[in-house]
Amino acid sequence: MSGTGGSKKMTCAEFQEVLPYIFESGGDASEMEHLKTCPICSDLVRDLRYIADQAKLLLPLRDPSPQVWDNIQNSLEREGLVRQQAKAHSAGKKKLMEQP
Amino acid sequence: MPGLTEAAAIEQAKGGDSIAFEALYGLHKRRVYSLCLRMTGNTAEAEDLTQEAFLQLYRKIGTFRGESAFSTWLHRLSVNVVLMHLRKKGLPEVSLEETLEPQQEDGPKKDIGARDNVLAGSIDRVNLERAIENLPPGYRIIFVLHDIEGYEHNEIAEMMGCSIGNSKSQLHKARMKLRDLLKLSKAEKAARR
Repeated sequence: MSGTGGSKKMTCAEFQEVLPYIFESGGDASEMEHLKTCPICSDLVRDLRYIADQAKLLLPLRDPSPQVWDNIQNSLEREGLVRQQAKAHSAGKKKLMEQP
Repeated sequence: MPGLTEAAAIEQAKGGDSIAFEALYGLHKRRVYSLCLRMTGNTAEAEDLTQEAFLQLYRKIGTFRGESAFSTWLHRLSVNVVLMHLRKKGLPEVSLEETLEPQQEDGPKKDIGARDNVLAGSIDRVNLERAIENLPPGYRIIFVLHDIEGYEHNEIAEMMGCSIGNSKSQLHKARMKLRDLLKLSKAEKAARR
């Protein structure tokens, strides 16, 4: 296995032990050397980067049910946080503010 | 509300305008709900927490001074609502410090000596969402906050009350677990062909 030969070379176990802490920075010379020469650890890092990159592309899932706004509105009124006169316009204008 | 900007809606909401409240809800509900749903993995809880997050928003909107973007402020508030809820439930921060040591079944050493096919190009959104749902709660929260919501480790550490190293460690374990889940899913898909 790569990384276990020379006495001064980093092993896979050593590399993977520090990986959480060097993932973003890239690590020092010996860690980078191990990554360059070890197919197992380079596959691992590639996979983890791929997962992180794909996660960044995830979009918001979906809207909550309409009941959520109804509950919020009731609570706002109960707590006196809203001016009552504006409520009459609310239903008709609701859809205009929906996100696409 | 045609022509109403977010900034105008915020100012009007500070004065108790219910239309402005609704406008802000319409603009941000999807992202707040998705955050709650991904963090809890439970639809009913996510709806309750979305409701609570917006109620807190409306109660506190008078204190919003615009030092950060409104969406940043709202999402931070929402994260805190979810974390508070999970803390009350005893999940998952209780186990966060306990899982600092690598566990045998998902620790980093398991890869040694076993080179598999890489994942690149094999993940679709549905598979990834499903795998995230199947993460243990502690891992899932860190992963959602860092890799999906874009929080830095120092911010996560502050919100979760843990060390930056702990946040990094948990995130790594989350990604390792996801890698396992996604490889399993890939292998199952291949076997069906």
